[in-house]
Amino acid sequence: MSTAGGRLTCAECAEQLYEYLDQELSPELERAIAAHLEECANCLGRFTFERAFLAVVARRGGSAAIPAQLRDRILRSIRGQAAPERG
Amino acid sequence: MATFEAEALPHLDAVYRFALSLTGDPTRAEDLTQESMFKAHRAWHQYRPGTNARAWLFTIVRNTFINQYRREQREAGNVDIDAIESFSVFRDVQEADPEGRFFDQIVDDEVIQAINRLPAEFREVVMLSDVEELSYAEIADLIGVPVGTVKSRLFRARQALQRELYRYAVEMGYIKPGVR
Repeated sequence: MSTAGGRLTCAECAEQLYEYLDQELSPELERAIAAHLEECANCLGRFTFERAFLAVVARRGGSAAIPAQLRDRILRSIRGQAAPERG
Repeated sequence: MATFEAEALPHLDAVYRFALSLTGDPTRAEDLTQESMFKAHRAWHQYRPGTNARAWLFTIVRNTFINQYRREQREAGNVDIDAIESFSVFRDVQEADPEGRFFDQIVDDEVIQAINRLPAEFREVVMLSDVEELSYAEIADLIGVPVGTVKSRLFRARQALQRELYRYAVEMGYIKPGVR
């Protein structure tokens, strides 16, 4: 169960799943997980699934845009004066 | 020389999205966006060039929101997020759709609505991380919690969102419900 030898268990891998996908891990841990994924079809499946989920959230969740009228109002105001709406 | 026009204005959509996720209401999101952008413009001399302008803007949006709207916070914000179960949908779909293709069939609006139904603390980290791509450290700094809290909150928020999307996909017939 120990990570001392550099080998990760499935449970340890699952714990770091999102940090791995978010690229928030140290290079050492990242390599250890990549190595585990090469050997473990189960974990690879879970990681692939979670990656698909995150991709959809990023794509769909980011589809909302500022209403055009509001954008125009802000741009006009900011471009029109050095210090808009003071006070 | 970092100008407001070049550094801040490209983030208008992101600022609006974040304002929308905080307020949960388009009209208030518009007010919050406008006020925050004007504030940011006036305070532009305080922005440190080379740092993440988007994160800097989000800080202003968030502080403005907290100052003005805290008392009217949406009911969802009062949910005890520690009581929410978290487990991956993966086990349910392992047989039918292990690659999660059903996610792609869910339209924009449904994903946005599912995010909006999350408790406020969850909604915030999902927006900041998954949609706006801030790092854990940037989010921790922005919302004033330790990085470890960001990690655990994000984990549970994602699992909750995933479950919402899965439930919707089952309802729509995009995927057959799995047996546990």
